[in-house]
Amino acid sequence: MGIWISRLMAVFGEREARILVLGLDNAGKTTILYRLQVGEVVSTIPTIGFNVETVTYKNIKFQVWDLGGQTSIRPYWRCYYPNTQAIIYVVDSSDTERIGTSAEEFHAILDEEELRDALILVYANKQDLPGALDDAAVAEGLNLHSIKNRDWAIFKTSAIKGEGLFEGLDWLSNQLKTRKR
Amino acid sequence: MSGDGKYFSTTKKGEIHELKEELRVLDKSRRKDAVKKVIAAMTVGKDVSPIFPDVVNCMQTDDLELKKLVYLYLINYAKSQPDLAIMAVNTFVKDSQDPNPLIRALAVRTMGCIRVDKITEYLCDPLQRCLKDDDPYVRKTAAVCVAKLYDINPELVEDRGFLDLLKDLLADSNPMVVANAVAALADIRETSTQDLLVLTNQSLFKLLRALNECTEWGQVYILDAIAKMQIKEAKDAESIVERVVPRLQHANSAVVLSAVKVVLLQLPLIADEAATKALIKKLGPPLVTLLSEEAEVQYVALRNINLIVQKHPEVLSHEIKVFFCKYNDPIYVKLEKLDIMIALANERNIDQVLLELKEYATEVDVDFVRKAVRAIGRCAVTLERAAERCINVLLELIKQKVNYVVQEAVVVIKDIFRRYPNRYESIIATLCDSLDSLDEPEARASMVWIIGEYAERIDNADELLESFLEAFPEENAAVQLQLVTAAVKLFLKNPQPRAQQMIQLVLTYATQETDNPDLRDRAYVYWRLLSSDPEAARAVVLAEKPVISQGTATMDPQLLATLLGNLSTLSSVYHLPPSSFVTRAVHTPAPSLDNGALLRERTATDDGAGSSAGVSDGAPSPAATAAPQQSSSLIGDLLDLDISDPPPAPAAAAPPPPSVDELVEVVNAQSGKGLAIKAGFSRENNGPVFLLQLANGTQQSLDGFMLQFNKNTHGIAPTSQVVSVPPLGPGETAGASVPLTVNPALINPAANPNVIQVAIRNNQQGVLYFTSACKPEILTAPAPSATPLDDFFGL
Repeated sequence: MGIWISRLMAVFGEREARILVLGLDNAGKTTILYRLQVGEVVSTIPTIGFNVETVTYKNIKFQVWDLGGQTSIRPYWRCYYPNTQAIIYVVDSSDTERIGTSAEEFHAILDEEELRDALILVYANKQDLPGALDDAAVAEGLNLHSIKNRDWAIFKTSAIKGEGLFEGLDWLSNQLKTRKR
Repeated sequence: MSGDGKYFSTTKKGEIHELKEELRVLDKSRRKDAVKKVIAAMTVGKDVSPIFPDVVNCMQTDDLELKKLVYLYLINYAKSQPDLAIMAVNTFVKDSQDPNPLIRALAVRTMGCIRVDKITEYLCDPLQRCLKDDDPYVRKTAAVCVAKLYDINPELVEDRGFLDLLKDLLADSNPMVVANAVAALADIRETSTQDLLVLTNQSLFKLLRALNECTEWGQVYILDAIAKMQIKEAKDAESIVERVVPRLQHANSAVVLSAVKVVLLQLPLIADEAATKALIKKLGPPLVTLLSEEAEVQYVALRNINLIVQKHPEVLSHEIKVFFCKYNDPIYVKLEKLDIMIALANERNIDQVLLELKEYATEVDVDFVRKAVRAIGRCAVTLERAAERCINVLLELIKQKVNYVVQEAVVVIKDIFRRYPNRYESIIATLCDSLDSLDEPEARASMVWIIGEYAERIDNADELLESFLEAFPEENAAVQLQLVTAAVKLFLKNPQPRAQQMIQLVLTYATQETDNPDLRDRAYVYWRLLSSDPEAARAVVLAEKPVISQGTATMDPQLLATLLGNLSTLSSVYHLPPSSFVTRAVHTPAPSLDNGALLRERTATDDGAGSSAGVSDGAPSPAATAAPQQSSSLIGDLLDLDISDPPPAPAAAAPPPPSVDELVEVVNAQSGKGLAIKAGFSRENNGPVFLLQLANGTQQSLDGFMLQFNKNTHGIAPTSQVVSVPPLGPGETAGASVPLTVNPALINPAANPNVIQVAIRNNQQGVLYFTSACKPEILTAPAPSATPLDDFFGL
């Protein structure tokens, strides 16, 4: 019975998607993950390793992997690339000094063969902080416009206030739906 | 290249790949099945480490079973994938805060089992939290984890104050936590120098209270910890004893033995004599109960009892019957029981004991019989009043004419004679009857001693000795020594021509024919004494001998005290102090690096690089390192010329042979133009080495050190001429150890066997010559010319 229902659900569109949340350390990845999942701001410590949670939004079951951003952990991001439908790349908009580093990591990800078909969603996070760059500046900093043959979008977000996150997911779910059909 | 590459890129993906795919599916139950398959493969010994990241990705789950499986995998493979193990850290941190205490404990236990340096640091915070957890199970698991962490990284444990937290746990409300904290601290103390289990009144009482409530193994930990504490107050000792005595009735033999240990250690502190007596009475029955277990446990118990009765025979003096051997006891149990019987034998029970021993002496097992006969002898030596009865038993045994019994009896009777001189000589006649059956050296030597000692009472002592002397050259050395002494005694007591003739024969042989220095020297001493002053000889040879005591049977009191403190451990079974068989790295800065260690370190790091660097400096052809054997003989010849021309150092000035780690200055700064050299021979890693210490006193940097030996008696030469020391700056000192080998081509039998002529060169100063004292002992390796010294003497 259960199997039957789940098959039916599959037919009627409950989809599953594997999403990676990447970005430099202290960008707000873990906070975003739990804001999406439980809708609250949880206190976090640097993620040495990963968190994985399931977020259901608009009939899509997102399996969201939040990977630690420390330099020591970045090399292991690649272990998570296979079968990934989308990347959420989180940038600390107030950290203007490291935007260059962030761009380097970002373009390295784009060059990954295993992520060739993945959608790219950029969160210009920490908009609540004074002196934060806006989305256009972040797009500039990451050199987003050089991306040609793949879908991307950038959103202004504040994980603390909960702004902009679900707009991003909206874009993601629409893209996924159009792509599958 | 046209397509042969395809043979390498096979389309078959194999099991690992399949597992990888299955681990990545979103469906939970399929993923769990996949992990089960992985664990199954791991269990049968397949290497499934390549899918480490995929398994770790399954770690964050609500499914406890899946989590346990992944943890199991982690414990097994984290070591082989130390870098990737970092990805598991966050999950550990999360799990250590899980609402379910089982998961918290599981996380902390697994963390302790993962011995990867890179992640230990991250695990400290969770560990700290868990040490203060509300749930006792989590706390006790964390306590054990601290000990494990200490083994990997003691500094970290000390810096984070885990030791203090652990000590706090000694006062925990839960006895299980206390027991585990005690166990962890005891474990840490083994490798740490500081005394962690410092006793305060309060902590002692907490421990004693926990003792009643925790599991049997927890009790063992606590008892062992109390045993190690330095108790000073009689009051404390009394309260310990009061609490521990009920443990003597425990069903677990480990608890019983540990409790006995604690009680025994407190005994000296208890002043009240009546109380001490009562306590000792209480110790006996539990020990006896241990002997109703299976043979192996009996053996362990007996080894421990053996120690106890040496210190406190009164504990079991009424229970001697328990230690009588049963016919079906294994031999190792029987032998132990015999020892204890001897220790417990006293005037009241000696008849019983003798009856038993006599019976044992007729059994079939030769070792056991011998030991039984010896036991009778020891009883005779220790119990004066029973000596006569013992001798009667021995005589009865001798009459049975069983060869090995007779021989053993002769040996112990000699001891009895030494113990009670001039009392039982009447039995000598009986002994002489069985003279012919003695064929073991010890028995023969004993018999010869008896004949010599009582020559005046044995009518035909000269005849008897003569019969021995016929085969003098073939006798064992011990018998020969006794024969020389006996012949002298006979002569002094009864100076007849026949005895004189005999003594001349013996002394001539012993001084001229034998190559045993002991025998020769003893004969010379006698000869000189006899020829210079017969009265002095009489005073020396026939001097009154001190009465022997039980000497060999008792243990050094200090060792005994150590062993009693380690009752119920391997140490008390081996009868060896723990330090003699447990090697543990103690986490303290070594007091000072000794020469040897320093040198070893250097050779370990410099071996490869050093030698090639030396070659590039020039002097010998590169072939020198490629084929050191051949070229070394070549260069040896060259140096031979140099050295034989102007003798660089007179052999008389050769330094005395150095002990293993003591180098001798062979070149001082003056003769070495600023370079001072200390050198010596030693053994390292099972091979002979030449140790060098070079001190550069010049104003320039010295490099390219090379070494060569002149041909010598032993044929030893360095395996490589390059001395692996880094370039030596002004004022610097470096050590090196050069492995040596024996090369028959380099033997020069005419050279002085005690010194070796050495040439050392460097790029700046040229060649220096010196001699180094060499002991042939360093050459104990089985090499073709391992005994060249003998060859030398043969020439």
